[in-house]
This record gives sequence, C-alpha cells and structure tokens, in this order.
Amino acid sequence: MSTTPPALPADNRLIDLASAVQRYTFDGMQYAAGAALPVGADAIAFGRELLRQGRRNLHALFHCNSQQSNLLAGAGALDKLECGFSGLEGFGFANGLRRAVESGQLLLEDYSNLAMPLRFLGGALNWPFVPTTTCIGSDIQHFSAYAPDEVPARGKIPPVRDPFSGREIGALSPLRPDLAAIHVTLADPRGNGILIGSEWSRFELSRAARRVVLIADHIVDTDCMRQYPNLVRIPDVIVEAVVWWPFSAWPAASPGVHDADETHMKRMNEALGSAEGTAAYLAEYVHGYADLDAYLALIGEDNRRALADTATAFLLDPYRRWFLPRERIEALAAANLAGTSARNAATEVPA
Amino acid sequence: MSATPDYTRQEMMAIAAGREIRDGELAIFGVGLSLLAGYFAKAHHAPNVRAITEGGVYGATPMGGMPWGIECNRLAVNATSFTSGLDALGFLVASGRCDFGLIGAAQVDRHGNVNTTGIWGERPQRFGPPRTRLTGSGGANEIACGAKRTVIMVSHEKKRFVEQVDYISSPGYLEGGDARERYGFAGGGPSAIVTTLGILRPHPETREFWLDGWFEFSSAEEIRTATGWALKVFPHAGRIPPPDGEELAALRQVDETGMLRRKG
Repeated sequence: MSTTPPALPADNRLIDLASAVQRYTFDGMQYAAGAALPVGADAIAFGRELLRQGRRNLHALFHCNSQQSNLLAGAGALDKLECGFSGLEGFGFANGLRRAVESGQLLLEDYSNLAMPLRFLGGALNWPFVPTTTCIGSDIQHFSAYAPDEVPARGKIPPVRDPFSGREIGALSPLRPDLAAIHVTLADPRGNGILIGSEWSRFELSRAARRVVLIADHIVDTDCMRQYPNLVRIPDVIVEAVVWWPFSAWPAASPGVHDADETHMKRMNEALGSAEGTAAYLAEYVHGYADLDAYLALIGEDNRRALADTATAFLLDPYRRWFLPRERIEALAAANLAGTSARNAATEVPA
Repeated sequence: MSATPDYTRQEMMAIAAGREIRDGELAIFGVGLSLLAGYFAKAHHAPNVRAITEGGVYGATPMGGMPWGIECNRLAVNATSFTSGLDALGFLVASGRCDFGLIGAAQVDRHGNVNTTGIWGERPQRFGPPRTRLTGSGGANEIACGAKRTVIMVSHEKKRFVEQVDYISSPGYLEGGDARERYGFAGGGPSAIVTTLGILRPHPETREFWLDGWFEFSSAEEIRTATGWALKVFPHAGRIPPPDGEELAALRQVDETGMLRRKG
C-alpha cells in the first residue's frame, strides 16, 4: 500500500465509487470480492472501476468466480486467482477466466466452496492454519498452480496429524486480503450492513480482510439498523467506507432489488471469449460511462425497470421507510470528498 | 429395445437419479439436472425430503422457471432461511449430517473419481495450464467427502468415462479397495453413477464401478462401447423399469420449462 488513507468520520463513511477505488486499491494487491454465488449479488461495478483506474497484477481471492472475476481475468488485470468455483452456474463456463487460464497468463489456484470460507475464517481468527477434512486426497491438495513442478504439492494443503485421534487431515492456509469490497443490500452511512440473500462467506471475509468497503444498493438511516440489529452481520466497527452504487451487481442479481439480466449475462460472457470481444466490451461497459447516471443509462431505463420488477421485491418492504434519498447520500459523500482532499494534502506520504 | 419411448434420455436419467433419493432424507442438490432430479423425487415419492443447496438458501421451491444458479431470485423468492456456505457445506455436509448428494462430472473414472476442473489430455506430470478449463470443484468436493451417499449424474460418452481422470476434483474411491479409508471421510462415497444409458454401482470390495442396469432404449453392449474401461457387469444386472405415467407427470411438473425434453 502506497499510502494509508485517513479514516473517514465514524458517523459518515460514505464516499463515491471512484474515490473508494482510488483510496483503497493498489497494483499487486490481494483483492477479495464479498459476493454471493455467480448469479447472485457481487459488486461487479467495483471491478469495472478497478479497470477504469488501470489496476493490474491483482491477486484475487473470490469464494466463487463471478462476472467480476471473469471480467478482470479477461481484461488481463489478474495475475493470480484463488477460488472454489470458476464457472457461471447456469450461464456456463466463464470465458474470460478460461482464456486467461488456458493461455497461462493467469495462475488459478483451485480450492472448494467450503475451503474458501474456512480460509477466511482462519484469517479472521488469526489462526496459523485451519484443519480440513475435505479437499484432502483429491487433486485440490496434490496440484498447485503456484508450484507446477512439485507433484504432489507440499505447500498448498499440507497433511497434518489430528493430535487427538492421530488421523491425518489437511491444513488450509488462512487468508487476510488487503481489501474486501463487499456487496450489501442495505448500509447506513456509518458502515453497518444488511445482506439480503445468502451471506455466502461475507461474514467471515469481513473479519478476515485488512480493510472493508461496502457497496450498497440502498443507503438507510441508522434507525433501520437499530430496528434490526440481529440482521446487521457487518458492523460499522470493521468498515472503512460505504459506497452507494445502484445496480452494482448488474448483470447478476441482487435478491430483493433486481433480477439477473439474462441477456447481458450471456452477451458479456460471449464478449469475454475473445480478445476483440473483450476490447469492445471494455470500451462500452467499462470505459464508456462518465458517472453513475451514464452507467445507469447503459443498462437502460426500461431494462432497469423490468429487472427491478422482481418477484423478490417484497423482501425489502420492511426497510423502505428508512431509505435515504439520492440528494442526501450524495451530499454526505461530497462532504467526505471535500474533507479528505484537505486531509490528504496534509497527511499523504510518498510510496 | 422397444419403439421410440415418449420420454427423453435426459428425463430417464433424472428419474433414475431421483429414484435413489429416499423420503425424509437431508439432501443437497446443485443447479440444472441435479435440481430437477431432486425436486422430481420430492414431487413423486419423497415429499418429506429436506432439500438444501450449498448457498444456504433453505426452504425454497423454484418459481418462474429454471433457476440460473443456487442463489437465483427464482429460489430466493420463497426461501425461509438464508445462511451461508460455511453453514450449508460445512455444518450440514462436510460434518457428515447430509444423507444424500447429487453431483455432475465432466469425466468420471472406474473408481468413481470425478473431474470438473480441466482437461489436460491425461493426468498431468507437471501442473501447467489445462487445454480446457472447466468449473472447478465448487461444493462437490464437500458433497463427495461428506454426504453419506453420493450419486454422480453424467452423460454416457466414452470421452467422459475414462480409465483415469485428468484431475480428481471430487474423490470417489480413489485407487479403489479401501483407499478412501486413509482419509477418514465422513461420507461413504458414490453409491451410483446414473447416466443417459444406465446405472453403474461400485463392487463391494474392489470399489470398481460395474454395470448394474440399462434403460429400455439401451443395452449392456451399448454401455460397454461408451465406457473407457473394461466394464464388468453384475450378474444381477438387467433392464431398469422405464418411467411410469406418474413419474413422468411429476418430473414434467417440476421441469416446467422443458429443459430435459429438448435433447433426445
């Protein structure tokens, strides 16, 4: 990390997406996306912004591949990726990731869908390793993309002995990503987050990451969190910043907010299948918008209305009374932008 | 061999896999074919099956078409609990609590080891990039290690039924015999490979998969030809009953978009 960004005020951690990427990301970092499964919620817009700002050589930690890692891999921004699943479920193989792996440009280190949350849990607890009774005996243990000549791999999931029974099990390495960019459905300006849908591994990840940025579909008044404190699985005490970016999960789904854009899921994946298609996709859907309004216009007004007309919309009914209006959110973010510019000038240190 | 049946091979495979599920079991399904086989069982003979997905989306019945994924809004719409991967795959599956799991395969070998990770052309000596990258394990490794019984569903083609898989993503019986016991897995391993042509089951001692039965449109000879190892046939092997009217009606009620009827 080139600089340590000054902390935002505890009662208002809202900043805009570009500022969040500028402040909390750097080339070569360990970057984790806090997402659900490939068709579910993930702040794919955060990945688009990483590319807009030219971030590269990233070491990505994704519980599952999503269109975000598919895009980052296809665009050549990832050197390494560790994940439990590398497809797109019903949308097939992830073409951008596939191209990058098959060409040798991207080293993909395979784990399983339980191994990844266990590794986040290990990082969160500051454990030296996490014992595992799965992944052992299979080639997830025996082959490592990071040590291709060492077969069987000795350092990936080394065997360890259970001191009680004497049985041989495996040791998983804990993960402490430099940043977790976590999609939440609702956040308040302080950084309390409510997830609608499967948490997948966002609870463990939020405690494992050195820094956490929330990307929320809706910003709510803190009274909402006081009404449902049991649902706040990510509390403000571990959050650096909150970004409001509607449809950040597009073209994937955000339960309660919008459905998956099936046409764009397919179109995006098809584009990522070739270098030419990827270049065209990047020009239009990564570098082709100047701000949030232009991003939303790219998705299309009618399309957004159709996607938001989801049968899951009732899931948000209890919370709607606390939604903050756009003007208020933008005013809070603008206040921080002005504040941090002044502080940055005073505290920034050279790399 | 009868006249052209009024159901597809995909439908027969889903029904045959669904028949493996018993009422009241805690069962984990994936997307696509696996979900249809599971919900077929629930609609037909296992109304009290307790179905979960690895995403920790519980209590849901698909609505509005085939879910694109296991956290698709088509499942989230009527779920009664949202938890996490650690819960579903860890607490309920790797722990040994889950009775039954259904997994798919790009390649499967004579000991029921599954590859969904990549195609190298053979088992790699050096672990370089694959010729074709696939999806990786996902939660199938946990199901293969932890579920009391696992059923593998796979289209019966010679390129998929290989002597040795290029990569073991999810363990079957490893090298066969008692090899699996070295690892003390909570789960018992694959109890069947259900294919588009028939059903293979493990020999009780060698744990090699033998032919247990063929569908009415298939034969032992066709299956041996489509299998990449010298497939042995259990003495009791025979024709598996075709779907009856109630089974087909239950499956088609679940497969409302006709996903399984598209392919012959």
